[in-house]
Amino acid sequence: MSALEIATHGFIPTSAVTGKEIKLAMQRLWLVGRILPVGARLLVRHTFRSEEEKPQEVIYAFGLPRDAALRRFRISGEGFSARSELRTVEKAVEAYEKGMEEGHLAAMARQYQDGVVNLSVGNIRPGEEVTVLLEVLAGVEAHDDGLRFRFPFTLAPAYHSKARMAEVRPGYGEIELPGDEFGDVILPQFASDASSLHEVGFDLSVTVPGPISEVSSPSHPLRTVSRSHGHSRLSLATARDLPDRDLVIDVRSADAKGAVLTGTDSQGKGRFAALIPSPNFGETAEEPRRIVFVLDRSGSMQGAPIAQARKALEACLAALSEEDRFGIVAFDNTAEVFKKDLVAADMKNREKAAEFLAKIDARGGTELAAAIQAAAKIFDREAGDIMLLTDGQVSGIDPIIGTARATGLRVHCLGIGSAGQDFFLARLARETGAVSRSVTPRERVDLTAVDLFASIGRPVASDLKARVEGFEEGSVSPAPPKYVFAGTPLLLFGETSGQGEGRLLLEWTGHGQPGTLDLPLAIRGGGEGETLRLLQGARLINDLEGQMEAPEGSERRTGRRGLKMLENLSQNYGLASRAMALVAVVERKGDRPGELALTRVVPVGMPQDVNFAAYFAMRGQALAGPGGLFEMSTIGDTCLRSDMAELPESRYSMRVKSLAGPVARDLDILKKSQKLDEADAELLTLAARIEPDGGMPGKTEEERALASILAILQFLAAGHSWRSGTFRKHVQRLVKFLEGGKLQNDTVREIVKRARTGNTLPGEWSKKKPEPSLWAELAKALGI
Amino acid sequence: MTKEWTLRELAAESGIPERTIRFYISKGILDPPLRGGRGAAYGPDHLTRLQEIRGLQAKGLMLAEIARLPEPPAAAAGLPAPSSWESYAIADDVIVWVRGESSPWRAKHIRSALREFASRIQKNSPKGDDNERT
Repeated sequence: MSALEIATHGFIPTSAVTGKEIKLAMQRLWLVGRILPVGARLLVRHTFRSEEEKPQEVIYAFGLPRDAALRRFRISGEGFSARSELRTVEKAVEAYEKGMEEGHLAAMARQYQDGVVNLSVGNIRPGEEVTVLLEVLAGVEAHDDGLRFRFPFTLAPAYHSKARMAEVRPGYGEIELPGDEFGDVILPQFASDASSLHEVGFDLSVTVPGPISEVSSPSHPLRTVSRSHGHSRLSLATARDLPDRDLVIDVRSADAKGAVLTGTDSQGKGRFAALIPSPNFGETAEEPRRIVFVLDRSGSMQGAPIAQARKALEACLAALSEEDRFGIVAFDNTAEVFKKDLVAADMKNREKAAEFLAKIDARGGTELAAAIQAAAKIFDREAGDIMLLTDGQVSGIDPIIGTARATGLRVHCLGIGSAGQDFFLARLARETGAVSRSVTPRERVDLTAVDLFASIGRPVASDLKARVEGFEEGSVSPAPPKYVFAGTPLLLFGETSGQGEGRLLLEWTGHGQPGTLDLPLAIRGGGEGETLRLLQGARLINDLEGQMEAPEGSERRTGRRGLKMLENLSQNYGLASRAMALVAVVERKGDRPGELALTRVVPVGMPQDVNFAAYFAMRGQALAGPGGLFEMSTIGDTCLRSDMAELPESRYSMRVKSLAGPVARDLDILKKSQKLDEADAELLTLAARIEPDGGMPGKTEEERALASILAILQFLAAGHSWRSGTFRKHVQRLVKFLEGGKLQNDTVREIVKRARTGNTLPGEWSKKKPEPSLWAELAKALGI
Repeated sequence: MTKEWTLRELAAESGIPERTIRFYISKGILDPPLRGGRGAAYGPDHLTRLQEIRGLQAKGLMLAEIARLPEPPAAAAGLPAPSSWESYAIADDVIVWVRGESSPWRAKHIRSALREFASRIQKNSPKGDDNERT
């Protein structure tokens, strides 16, 4: 792969404050690889250099992207290059420690709970430069019309009720997790300012079936290196960047036809991945909805995220009809419910819900499991959907997923935050038969929320079955998901005994009727086969890991047996997991046994918009600086997200500090966040005004009809129709109101037709008033 | 002769992985081995200290806090357990003492009350603008 050859820039990091050169254990992190519509095959290149006078052991902690698995690494330096081996965790640790003892260069990549990886590279000699090239398989967030790829360059601090967090020196926070639950994972220092950290960058290629209409990034400036039909190569437009935010790449396809990727793997077996856009399954059945919105109000949601989430929920409520029932749970350390039962989405309840939401501000911890349980209680054993709006910044995800699965409810996730949380939220959604979307606080959270809400009401397909025909052997695995929702394509991986031509057959129930799809499956030699095999393996490993733990409190189902299964799966696909790690030991000339290596943990940047103080403020007063000279100011109502009720009985020092002249820090996320786009804000307000019967408010039947027509025209002008666009649910409700109303004429019929087909009507309709004179204007514009 | 262990043996004895022990030494909360080089060895004091670190962690102390403890608790033997108090110099003539180990929520309430108090006291300080004084 030529992309491996990345030129090094003569980059010497210096401190932004002192201008002096900074000794960095890790100098740079560069991401290369290929993004396919069904997943990504990535190589992450880490460059370490020791400036110490003693041998060094560098530990870099990072979070995996969604559905990811580590495959292997190559460690190289002057005069050596070695490949990693896949071993059980126990064996890998043993080999690593033996290498350390002998004075050899030892490296290990080990995955812990929550998708956190420790890459340890030991016995780097003074002045030595070592490169670790790590291969990672990752999933992408597939949409009907494209995909979103996210890769964490940062690590977000995460909440856990037993975690201890503190600012240990000005601007640097530490988190320690209970060892009995999280093992010996070493978490880095979280730097509030990333400007003195390692440099990052990327060079990626995107290949999709059919022409690409757009490749963009809301996070980083992109440079398109080359572009052809269905293929684009892009890199960071600047020479380097800081690890202060995650990489987000959006790819839009010109057509949403879906694709079947095929090939043969290294053993000659046929491999395929099918991506089938949701419109293939028909439309959503119109049945009354039961939905509980679960809103994360933890301290880290402070500012723009919570404000946008509130606004989004109001618009979502407006898309509900009177037959629909809903509930709201807002949670931090505790879960607060709007009403203890599901309530009808009538005007009275919507108004009360708006009042409830207005009082919700961000504070406290993230007790997600409790919130899901509270939502389950509202459903009272009825089936339904949860729409979860969260930053997902929690540690200990297994019990949460177990709890969610046990409720039998679908937990659709809107992740408002960093890429490191995709690992959790994508898994939580999939394990409950739901879908997830990710968005950064700087994007329009409210619009993404409304869009997700429009897709999730009822699945377009359920009871999916898939089989392969025409080959000696052929199968689909993992098993198809329980449901398909509008907007999110169905992704299937499978294998065949070899090359040839056959078919992939799909059956499902949609809209109360059975549906079928017959896709030709032509498998030839080579192609993407090996990559597809690895992506399939990564998905299977993630699925198994997601099922490994039962809810907290109940007896664990798996334990040893689960680990053994995971081990076998890892072996089969040659991929690391929580059961198997990657290790390499390199013997160099002159290795000195027994010398103790100095441990250096690479500090990491926090994602933009994550409030440093929300995690590390309080205890920082005790720790940062001698005698409490350094003082953290408390910002507004910011609270520490940590349970520190278990502080020891005594302390050994006395702290004196003054309240006078606190250091003010500008952490106002709202200021930094994107200003609401006026036009979108107007549409959101419009959407939120729709009444439970689907019409716009008004004094008379006529006024309501006219106002509803005007609303439809505004939605149409902005690209939202019955079929597509974020506000499609709202358009559908307005159309139904007009169709069911007493007032029927050619104008109404023509408007309804346009709304269904997405045909706009030119004119400045947003400025018009719903007065009787409007009929004539409309008729004229429509040519009636 | 006192007992001596290699790093591996110390790890087995304490149940703390080698990598973690090296991490503790680099953080300065555990002494380096008795001798450097090939014959690096660890003694009973290392084991005791590791157990002590585990104990302090179980009590809720972070490594950074353990590193800052001025002396091991053994040195304070025979004295009653010390407690920590925070002093807030709110004005030139007012100091408020608050017990140091209150829960985060309690501490937050206390601080918020202190802030109110401080702003009132500072407004009415003898040197300041004292038009409210009668």
